[in-house]
This record gives sequence, structure tokens and C-alpha cells, in this order.
Amino acid sequence: MEGRIKAHPILEFRRGKRVKFYFEDREIEAYEGETVAAALQANGIRVLRYTPNTKRPAGLFCAIGKCSSCLMKIDGVPNVRSCMTKVREGMHVRRQNGRGDVL
Amino acid sequence: MKSYETIVVGGGPAGMMAAITLGSKGVKTLILDENDELGGQLVKQTHKFFGDHAHYASVRGFEIAQKLQEKIFQDTNIEVETSATVIGIYPNKMVVYAKNGKEFKATYEKLLISTGAMEKQLPFINSDLPGVYGAGAVQTLMNEYGVMPGRRFLIIGSGNIGLILAYQLIQAGAEVRGIVEALGKIGGYAVHAKKIKRLGVPIFLKHTIVRAIGNESVLGAVIAKVDNNFNIIPGTEVEKVADTICVSVGLTPLSELAEQAGCKVEYIPQLGGYVPVRNERMQTSNPDVFIAGDLSSIEEATTAMIEGKIAALEMSRNFIKIAANKKNIENEINDEIKTLALFRSGPKSAKIRTGLEKFGINIKHVPKIESYGVQIGPTGKLRAIVDCTEEIPCNSCEAACSFGAIHIGENLNSTPVVDYDKCTGCATCVTACPGLAIHMLKEDLENSTALVGIPYELLPLPEKGQKMWALDEDGNYVCDSIVKRVVKYPNKTNIVYIEVPIEFSRKVLSVSFPKKESPFVCRCEEITLDKIERVVDSGITDFEELKRLTRVTMGPCGGKNCKLVVLGILSRKTGVPISKLSHGTSRPPVKPVEFSLFMKGSDPT
Repeated sequence: MEGRIKAHPILEFRRGKRVKFYFEDREIEAYEGETVAAALQANGIRVLRYTPNTKRPAGLFCAIGKCSSCLMKIDGVPNVRSCMTKVREGMHVRRQNGRGDVL
Repeated sequence: MKSYETIVVGGGPAGMMAAITLGSKGVKTLILDENDELGGQLVKQTHKFFGDHAHYASVRGFEIAQKLQEKIFQDTNIEVETSATVIGIYPNKMVVYAKNGKEFKATYEKLLISTGAMEKQLPFINSDLPGVYGAGAVQTLMNEYGVMPGRRFLIIGSGNIGLILAYQLIQAGAEVRGIVEALGKIGGYAVHAKKIKRLGVPIFLKHTIVRAIGNESVLGAVIAKVDNNFNIIPGTEVEKVADTICVSVGLTPLSELAEQAGCKVEYIPQLGGYVPVRNERMQTSNPDVFIAGDLSSIEEATTAMIEGKIAALEMSRNFIKIAANKKNIENEINDEIKTLALFRSGPKSAKIRTGLEKFGINIKHVPKIESYGVQIGPTGKLRAIVDCTEEIPCNSCEAACSFGAIHIGENLNSTPVVDYDKCTGCATCVTACPGLAIHMLKEDLENSTALVGIPYELLPLPEKGQKMWALDEDGNYVCDSIVKRVVKYPNKTNIVYIEVPIEFSRKVLSVSFPKKESPFVCRCEEITLDKIERVVDSGITDFEELKRLTRVTMGPCGGKNCKLVVLGILSRKTGVPISKLSHGTSRPPVKPVEFSLFMKGSDPT
């Protein structure tokens, strides 16, 4: 998988077992324990949503659940912070267009 | 709904230390954190921390988090709730949090809020473009998840976070194109800045970012010079190629929950923004609510831990009935306040001191800070050279030296003094120094060489006998060197000893693998300039011989592309003008044609 650090002088990455989930119906490989946003960055996917008014692309900014830039539609639920949501086998992740529907 | 004597909101260094302290005093405590493990931002810090032995100096951030976690899990007085997002605090001493999609409530008698901080925004054109990250986000991706979000990085802001990020990116194998800083000087610690300068990262002072370039993702940036009022100087704009921009222009406290808990807040820019009003013992305007860590002022994890301890000790007084124990706690609090004052007595804490004065908290009666320059020591002896001249709160070298050869003294902001009679050349201080500011040196006057021992935290690790480049303080090439010895240490700050000519003994501060990039001269046969030069340097000065040895000019183009370039190299190396050199013999076919052409024979007409 691209975008993953293979060797590091200080850290050892103990990655969880491989899981697959779907981003815009495309199959994405990830590791258990990592967030949706991290898995998408590892796969070179930066655009996580389009903004409500100007329809500009938006991506990950703070990665620690503060800034709300990474809101996505996860398993049909809009406005989910993808940086705080761990990947699950078979989950469906979509870019959020605008504010997301309440129902 | 559960009730607790104390609740701690936020499990970073301040909250963890508070919980440990409360637990140790027998106070029933709940610690809540949004992440699935405790540690806050320590978990993504790979560098060794400054400070003193009692506060985990020389220990890497993520390892401090592990040590604190162990203490918390051992204590039955402490209940831990992770993946628990506190969404509000209500007047009836109730904390409401969300976990696994459900709402939970808990009440407290005393509350500690240690929610930390978040990154400040810097609006520039396209600052919302995917690929512009907060510096902390990139640290999270790299160091927690092992994910590298880009290849070429530009960092905005030269505070400690920006400087540390640059170093961490290089450790993880990325390229850092530079750090942009609007001020005329570097914001963070000098030792952090020197670490990355030695690796060749430029720092653009008095510059700002004008815009990010790209449509759906960052492709580059425009930076420009600024005047003393931070206005962009027209005409100084330059484009930088980068696929990722990291913003690290400071942090601002997250005071929302404190406000909900009835704490009065004030805007104090020196402390980072809106901060709860509090006294020396971390008690806010609501006597039942305490704060600690970045929420009270943007500082280091060390001061956050001390604040957490002070707050917890003060909170625990409420639950202790025996007078003698109360008195002991009073003494402990006073000791911690003194330690904290010591940490904040250096020049780098001037801003914090000014901010705290607005709450009537003054730092007084600290031992004097003594400063010394870099000492060279006796020539010819294997010894430590300490390049640490900025007064920062750290005495890890003094603590590391078991021979008493390094002295810092009572105020840990003082700079180190080396007693070279006592220095044995063991290099323990080199591997302990969080700033990588110590290296080893031994001159050999007989052979006119010097042995330089450089702390090394990159991959791959050089090997004995390897030829390396020796670099100066800005990462510029100084001379070639040979690796004489590589010493590995358990803390992963290894030392690479290289031999250099003696005249460079004071100039060499860094080491890198030789950069092998060389342009292709012969594109058909893929021969580089470097290869041709090496063959010529070995004594081959005849064009025909050069051809046979390298196959240069012998590919499908028949030398049309490269013959003149090769002759130019030969001429430059030998001093013989091209007109006097043999340029080989041209033979048919001059263009590539099919073999079948010859097999069919000549045209009968």
C-alpha cells in the first residue's frame, strides 16, 4: 500500500489486521485501529468533502477531532468526523456534499 | 449516573499527572478522554523531552505517555473512560459525555479540566485546499498511524512544533523544502533549529505564505518577504514546489468546557488566547473547578505535568481529613510551585511570565541563570563538545554524566559547563541530549585527522568503513569522510564516528550519505556524467577507449546526441582542445533501419 512508512529510526508500527472498506464504492485497504481519514491519506485520497456554499474541496486539517474539516458520510450518516472514526470491515464511506441531510 | 470525588476531563500530560496524583492520595477519580488511549499529544512525539530527571527528560514523548498510562492502570482509585467525548458541563456539577453512540452522565465534587489546545488558523489564499494540514495532523498521521501524507513539505511557522515536525518528516523519509517564518528570528529552541539546519532544511525568515497552488490538492505555494508590519513586499513572491503544506503558527487553548463549568475566562495573548482566570494553585473563579496544561497557557508537556500535579494536590486537600496529611500536601504544593517557577525562569518563558502576571502570579526567588559559550576542551583528547548556548529549561546532560563532568547548577536554564579533567569520552551525554547538541571530538595531530562523533537518528545507519559526506552547521558539504565506528544505543540516538582532515575538525557537525545524483550524458546507453568522469579520472583519455569501456556514443543514435558532450568532458579533463581530439569513425547505417533491408539485397534497378 502506498503512503505508509515502512521503516522508521525511532518507531515500530504494529499495524492491526487488514480490513477492507469502501470509499465512493471503491475498495480501500486499511489496517484495524487506524482512522478513516488516516487510511484515506495513506491511499492518496485528500478530498473528503465539498463545502456547502462554494462547493470547494475540503480535506483533513487537524486530525484530532477539533476542526470539523474532515466531515464525511459514513454508513449513511453525514457529518461524521472521519479523523476520529476507526475503520471497520465493509464500511461505506462517501464524500460529503454540502451539509448532509438530517433524514 | 455515577458520582465521583473528582473528574478529570482530558487525558494528556496534565490530566494524566493529575489523575495519578489524585489516585495516590486515595481520591476516587474518573479520567475521560476522547481518544482510544490516554496520552494526548504525547503519543505522537518521537523526540526526547527537555527538562530534568524527575520530569522524564531524555525520554521520548510517546514513551512518557506509556509510563504515565502504566501508573494510571495500576491505581484502583482511578477509573479510565477512553473514546469518551465530553460534550458539555452543566451547573449541577455534571459532566455529559458520548461513548459508542450513547450519552453518559457523571457528577463530581471537584473537577479538573485539561482539554489542551488546538492549532491556530492562518488564512491565506487556498488555505482550505486539501493538502494544507495543521502541523499536528501530520505528526498524528506519521507517528501514530505510520502514514506519510506527502513527499515534499513546506512548513509555515518556526516554533518548536514546526521545527520538530521538519525533523520528524526527515526521519520518516520525506523531503522538507523549507520553513517559512514571518518574524526576523526563529521562534522555537535553537537546538531544534540547528538539528534541521544541519540536515540542509532552509528557514526563510521574514517570509510568509501568500497562497497555496492547486485545484483539488496542493501542488505548490507562493511565499513572499514581509516588512516589519508583516505586510507582503510586492515583487518578492516566489513559487515553491511542495505537495503538502503544514501550518504551525501556534496553539490556542480550548476553553469551551471551562466556560460551561462556570470559569471566568480572559483574553491573554501571551498565554495563547482565551484562558480561564486562575490562581497559582490552578483553581479557577469557580472554586470547585481547576485547570492544567495547555488550557491554562501554551507551554511544554513538562510544565503541563507539574500544573496537573499542583491542581491535583490542591483538589485532594478537600478529601483529606487528617491534619498532618493536609500539612504534608501543603509542603508538596509549595515544592511543585517552586519547581514550576524554575522551569519558567528562562528567557524562552518571558511571554508566559508576562501573561501570568495578569493573574497576579509572579515568578520570584529563583537561582540565577549562568551562561557560558561553547568550550573546545583540550586538543587530542576524546571529549564531548557541547553546543548548547541558549538558556532553556533542561539539565539532561548533567544527569546523564556519571563522572560529574557536566555542571548546570541549581537553575536548569543555565547552560552546561564541561570539566574536561573529568570527561572520559564515554559519549553518554551525546545520546542523552534531547537537542542533539553534543558531539564527540578527538584530534590526531600526527596523522592530521580528527575523529568526530555525531548523534544520528536517521535510516539507514551508516556502516564502518563507508565513505560519507561530512557537512557543516547548514548541511553544506565540507569534505569526504570515512566511518570509523558506529555505536548503537537503546534509546535510538546512535553515534556515527567519522574521520575528517584535521582542518575541518571544528566545522563538521553533520554527516550524510554522498548524494549520487548525476545527469545522463548518453541517453541511449544510459551513461551518467559521473561514470564518464570516473573512467577518465582512472587514466582513460582516448575517445575510442572511452567508448569501448562505457558504450558511450554506441547506442541506436550513433552518438548524435552525446558525442560533443563526451568530447567536451574529455577536453575539460585533459586540457586538450576538442579540435585536437580524435572523434571516432562514422560507419553506416547512420539511422536505425531493419536488418531485413540488408538481407533483401540491393535494388535490382
